[in-house]
Amino acid sequence: MYCLGVDVGSVSTDIVVIDENNNVIESLYLRTKGRPIKAILEGFKIIKEKVESKDIYAAGTTGSGRNIAAFLIGGDVVKNEITAHAVAALSIDKDVRTIIEIGGQDSKIITLNDGIITDFAMNTVCAAGTGSFLDRQAERLEIAIEEFGDYALRSENPVRIAGRCAVFAESDMIHKQQLGFSVEDIVGGLCEALVRNYLNNVGKGKEIKEKVFFQGGVAANKGMKRAFEKALNIEVVVPEHYNMMGAIGAAILARETVEKAGRTYFKGFEIAEENYVTASFECNGCPNMCEVAVLKCDNRIIGYFGDRCGKYSNKMAV
Amino acid sequence: MKITFPHMGNVYIAAKFLLDGLGIDYVIPPLNNKEALEIGTLYSPEEICLPFKIMLGNYIQSIRQGADTVILTGSCGPCRFGEYGELQMKLLNKIGHNLDFIVFDMPSDIGFDELKRRIKKITDASPKKKHEKYMALMNAYKIITLIDDLEAKAHKLAGYEINKGDCKKILNECKKELLRTNNPKRAIEILKEYHIKMDNVQIEKNRNPLKVAIIGEIYTIIEPFSNLYIEDKLMELGVHSKRTLSPSWWFYNTVILSPFGLTAKKIRKSAKDYLPYGVGGHGQECIGESILAHEEGFDGAIQIFPLGCMPEIVSKSILPSVSRDKNFPILSLVVDEMTGEAGYQTRLEAFIDLLERRRNHVLSRS
Repeated sequence: MYCLGVDVGSVSTDIVVIDENNNVIESLYLRTKGRPIKAILEGFKIIKEKVESKDIYAAGTTGSGRNIAAFLIGGDVVKNEITAHAVAALSIDKDVRTIIEIGGQDSKIITLNDGIITDFAMNTVCAAGTGSFLDRQAERLEIAIEEFGDYALRSENPVRIAGRCAVFAESDMIHKQQLGFSVEDIVGGLCEALVRNYLNNVGKGKEIKEKVFFQGGVAANKGMKRAFEKALNIEVVVPEHYNMMGAIGAAILARETVEKAGRTYFKGFEIAEENYVTASFECNGCPNMCEVAVLKCDNRIIGYFGDRCGKYSNKMAV
Repeated sequence: MKITFPHMGNVYIAAKFLLDGLGIDYVIPPLNNKEALEIGTLYSPEEICLPFKIMLGNYIQSIRQGADTVILTGSCGPCRFGEYGELQMKLLNKIGHNLDFIVFDMPSDIGFDELKRRIKKITDASPKKKHEKYMALMNAYKIITLIDDLEAKAHKLAGYEINKGDCKKILNECKKELLRTNNPKRAIEILKEYHIKMDNVQIEKNRNPLKVAIIGEIYTIIEPFSNLYIEDKLMELGVHSKRTLSPSWWFYNTVILSPFGLTAKKIRKSAKDYLPYGVGGHGQECIGESILAHEEGFDGAIQIFPLGCMPEIVSKSILPSVSRDKNFPILSLVVDEMTGEAGYQTRLEAFIDLLERRRNHVLSRS
């Protein structure tokens, strides 16, 4: 029996199918492109060719689009990214003590002890050190994002870039380019600046102990891995499915839930054939003025989101 | 004179019945919402803390309904709240609203005569007799105590309720019904009725819900809009939450006990190993409460404070030591007008998960 995990993030939508021993059977990495529903349905169309719906024992969702994804596919568990990432890392190595996770919009640190999360933090006021920022810089420098890390590794004298926040880092970087520094040294400096920013903002006050896992899309960047190792002076491990860890965690958690509940809500890959749209309106029922989103399938309402009092979201039967 | 006042949790309920009892005309600003914050942010200095911005929005919305006098509590303590009254008055003046501010400050800061003069300004506007004025004050105090207790009860029982949402519903109904009357006596009756209703909520006594203490800066933990309704979210998650700081707590400790130097004595005593001095605001209380919550067997604590809040930054940097020494998880949440709800919700869910997993882990090992 297989379990399905869906991680709908800001940049990527990851779908994985795992077996009883948490081996990844199928994995898909799609760009969300601001349309989470479309990305999930597209992914389902591809997976449908390889895995049958009846083989799916449980389904779980995570990521910033976890709620809408759960409504769409019939998720058994809707989990936050922090728990999902920790669960996935622990399924690989029970001894992991620190998880550095950098995704599209957020960066996180998770500290563990004896296999349980003891502490975590997410970037607060500033977004620097996230995948979207690196993506944008690669584009501006006309380097493929996949090669970004190689450029950084070739750098001999990384430039010091002020990395308080993405906007300031970018303007300082441009200034350094105008002075004629090489692309390699700038890219290398950028990685170091992001690591500095991460350790000073996200990792502030947290003890970083071995083993350290580096997960999330940014872990593909070898320059970032090296910069972390240089700054921390310890080995940083990038797990095989570093960019799928959230989805793997969601799948494992879904299995645990279904084992307890005894049934799954998974709707099957066939939903890929249907038409889904989201509409929204502002509720004027009270001074809260919530923005309510409605998920519809061919004029049939699937779910409401965003109303604080539950006027709409409590009405529907899932 | 048409009085208005800023929102802070249930304060509007007590203020309403106090002014009803005194027979003074008043405007309750619309319950805090995006619009109040937007207006406030537009006219406030960028770096000022969140409560300032929301309060300024409250005033402007009240002015539109005819308010001309603002009642505000003051503080000459070492935190920016001390300059709120002056700064807000000047800002409103600058954009063409001439409001009268009546700021209640400690007699130790402004002197008894000045305080009396300020109180007289309000009482002079009341047509009621002296003993009636006294009764109005007593009733208002009774009302704020009753509503705070009712709220605390709801937050506690939400962890035990059998029909999910019962406690929240009763609490919200009570607040709605209170606004329908102008009679303080009737308000007390309503509150007592709802206390009975709350006591009769079907609960499962043997359930052992997660227990979380809410600590931090007083405005942001009391005013639900400013903390993105964290207590409602915890109620939905079936968590038993506790918050010591409330308007009635504040009144009792700051107005009644402070002349004797007894304010929050127990809490401050608990904090002394980590923070023996007052750092303004309720920074010291924040540390003390985290330690008390640990001693009372709570699973964790959530600290909430507005961006740039000096006393709370001091306590935030001390809390990791408390957390480490006592093996007690503490989550710090910073709020301002830029706070995104999605990230906030994720942190909250992850924290509750963390507590749950910890507990299961401890139980499975013992």
